[in-house]
Amino acid sequence: MRKDKLVVKVMVIAGVLLSVYACIEPDALTNSNYSEWLSGGSQTIFDHGVGAFGTSFPTLTEERQQVHEVGDAAFSKTFVSAPALINPGLGPIFNNVSCTSCHINDGRGKPPEPGEQISSLLIRISIPGTDAHGGPNPVPGFGGQLQQRSIFGVTPEASVTIDYTEVEYTFADGETYSLRHPTYTLVDPYESLPADVMLSPRVAPPVFGLGLLEAIDEASILALADVNDLNKDGISGKPNYAWNVVEGKKTIGKFGWKGANPSILQQSAGAYNEDMGITNFVFPNESSYGQPQYDNRTDEYEVSDSILRSVEFYVRTLAVPARRDADNTTVLKGKQLFTQANCVACHTPQQRTKVNVAFPEISNQVIFPYTDMLVHDMGTDLADNRPDNEATGVEWRTAPLWGIGLTKVVNGHQNFLHDGRARTLMEAVMWHGGEAQKSKEFVDNLSKEDRDALIQFLQSL
Amino acid sequence: MKKFLLFSISCLLITACSNNDSTTSQVDATLNATILDDFSANLARPVYSDLASKTSTLYDEVLALSDGEATDEELVACQTTWKAARSAYEQSEAFLFGPVATDDIDPSIDTWPVNFTDLDSQLNSENAFTEEYINELEDALKGFHPIEYLIFGLHGDKKAKDLTARDLEYLKALALNLKTLTADLNSSWDPSTSNNYHTIFTTAGEGSTVYTTQYAAFEELVKAMSGICEEVATGKIKDVYDSQDSTLEESPFSKNSIADFTSNIKGVQDVYLGKYTVDGKGLEDLVKNSNLQLDSDIKAKLSSAIASLNAITDPFGRAAALTQRVQVQNAMTAISALQTELDENLLPFVQKHVK
Repeated sequence: MRKDKLVVKVMVIAGVLLSVYACIEPDALTNSNYSEWLSGGSQTIFDHGVGAFGTSFPTLTEERQQVHEVGDAAFSKTFVSAPALINPGLGPIFNNVSCTSCHINDGRGKPPEPGEQISSLLIRISIPGTDAHGGPNPVPGFGGQLQQRSIFGVTPEASVTIDYTEVEYTFADGETYSLRHPTYTLVDPYESLPADVMLSPRVAPPVFGLGLLEAIDEASILALADVNDLNKDGISGKPNYAWNVVEGKKTIGKFGWKGANPSILQQSAGAYNEDMGITNFVFPNESSYGQPQYDNRTDEYEVSDSILRSVEFYVRTLAVPARRDADNTTVLKGKQLFTQANCVACHTPQQRTKVNVAFPEISNQVIFPYTDMLVHDMGTDLADNRPDNEATGVEWRTAPLWGIGLTKVVNGHQNFLHDGRARTLMEAVMWHGGEAQKSKEFVDNLSKEDRDALIQFLQSL
Repeated sequence: MKKFLLFSISCLLITACSNNDSTTSQVDATLNATILDDFSANLARPVYSDLASKTSTLYDEVLALSDGEATDEELVACQTTWKAARSAYEQSEAFLFGPVATDDIDPSIDTWPVNFTDLDSQLNSENAFTEEYINELEDALKGFHPIEYLIFGLHGDKKAKDLTARDLEYLKALALNLKTLTADLNSSWDPSTSNNYHTIFTTAGEGSTVYTTQYAAFEELVKAMSGICEEVATGKIKDVYDSQDSTLEESPFSKNSIADFTSNIKGVQDVYLGKYTVDGKGLEDLVKNSNLQLDSDIKAKLSSAIASLNAITDPFGRAAALTQRVQVQNAMTAISALQTELDENLLPFVQKHVK
């Protein structure tokens, strides 16, 4: 026992000495006992290239690494029309053919450029009212998600066109910027759509670090909530609750742009089913069931329980890239401005995961995801006006900001927000409204130098 | 557990900033800039240009094949050029970053498997295979593998007389599509086009919009080399080996898989040496300046990885499932050893010698 303690002490001293010796600058970051360089706690990796979002936890055992790799292979499998020797079951209607074709390099999707087909963006649809579990009310003949692609000989549900209107704005110091306001139109529906159909466009979010986010204690999330804004700070984070298919009850929502998805398993199974038309034990019915596109095939689950679980494990064990330049003077200044602007009220820098002895990699980790996992009123300009469980038509879940500065190198673009309308980080900031209105106004009044510092801070995440 | 965590955190901290604290005397920024320049000039651009010119030739040969009566000579010419284009593309997979990865070009060129059910339906339909129509088709219906299927046949024994008019029409459209996509890829690295990746890559640390330091670009290179080793050893080869299912083989119709894998690893070797046809400065030159042992270790691992693939003499699907499992196992081991060498020795070395 005593010897053990001594070893620990030596390790602590050696660790501190080594870290001080290795890089003196990070001292500037020590306003907590944890290193902010390590965004994902002990599951942080140091790849800052195209693989930054696609690297496994560094502490996986060999056996668990193998499961990760099985999931990785499944994540990149392209499905084709049945019957086929390899990967049958695509469609009949779908949004894409593999996980990776939306989550390219495990990263962020984007809306199509002019002339491109829609690939990593999809449209959720519903009509007023709710389904049996309080979720969005599906559109008769279409369901809850629009599938704009189909296998040969099948009519897709509809096509989508996106039109942008550029609107000029001016910062307080006179510099101008432009935001593109999107309009989404469903064209050529296979049968007529009800007039009151509501659309919610969503790009594929990055999938790294989700295991750590899932492991944040529900109590810590609820502790940050302030549904009725009792502290009168103008910010009222609220947890979303959605039907958990596996547990057969409503549980807190953690994933998706409106936080309406309770688990990585359900998120993955739902994506297989709705996005690719691949049935599984969580969602055994084809997305086209009851529609003329339905193929009447009585195939087994098109993805097996084991593979689905492996994909869940793969996503759970994707590590978080470390910060870059976190000790740079401009970055530190940007961080200060981020705090002063009260961005931190929702983009909570630090979270701690709960103890989970069965999953040591994600147990009791201090992480820096920059999200409170709650939904907030983001204003009418960003609103999709389509309620999703407890989230209203103006509410969105605080997006995690970790890794956001690597979007360009991993995905080659800088399209942000739920539908990728923002083309730079600054545009994304300036789209904020509602509860974030005051923070946006703070940024609006900054000098050019300070605005650049703020962006440089975001780039370092 | 606590010990382990503390230890790993201190290790992580060291890794986090070891490239910030290396003494300046170890870093030759001029050499490092030359290595990046030469990578683009001698590797990325020539390989993509080679790919574009081979697919352009393939298109011409497909036109000849479909013009008048198709002959076996014309078909063989297409098959030979397909393999040559394939070799250039597989070689380029050793640097699968930049536009090919971020612009989604890879899936539209190289999706596997082929959607045979829909491919048959397309051939049996009366749809006009216009350029636009092909462009909007699913990825599993275009690119290298559907072309391979049409010109080699399911069992690799296609004869010109087996090609129907519809086959040829589709083939023509696919060849044109491949030619266009690879030409786009080629121009994405061309210094004379706007937003080209040549400039982004070679100005690393000097104003590049993607790579804020030279090290970031070197890391991209080394990770890409290691990444393709992993893909070959634990993906392309292992899937077939573990399942003993030869239908999982990629490039089955041309029986070209071993050539594909060899091109992948040769690509890694060429990036290390900094040469494709012209020899410039490569990682080799950086390593040799201060660690001859590491240089010879990497070269030995490269040679044994390539030799282990050469030792597989049967068509890959059969070899991995049945006939040469020992040789296939050896190849996986050798390629994984190369990957480990790159991850555990080359990358830390680069961290010290590039800022």
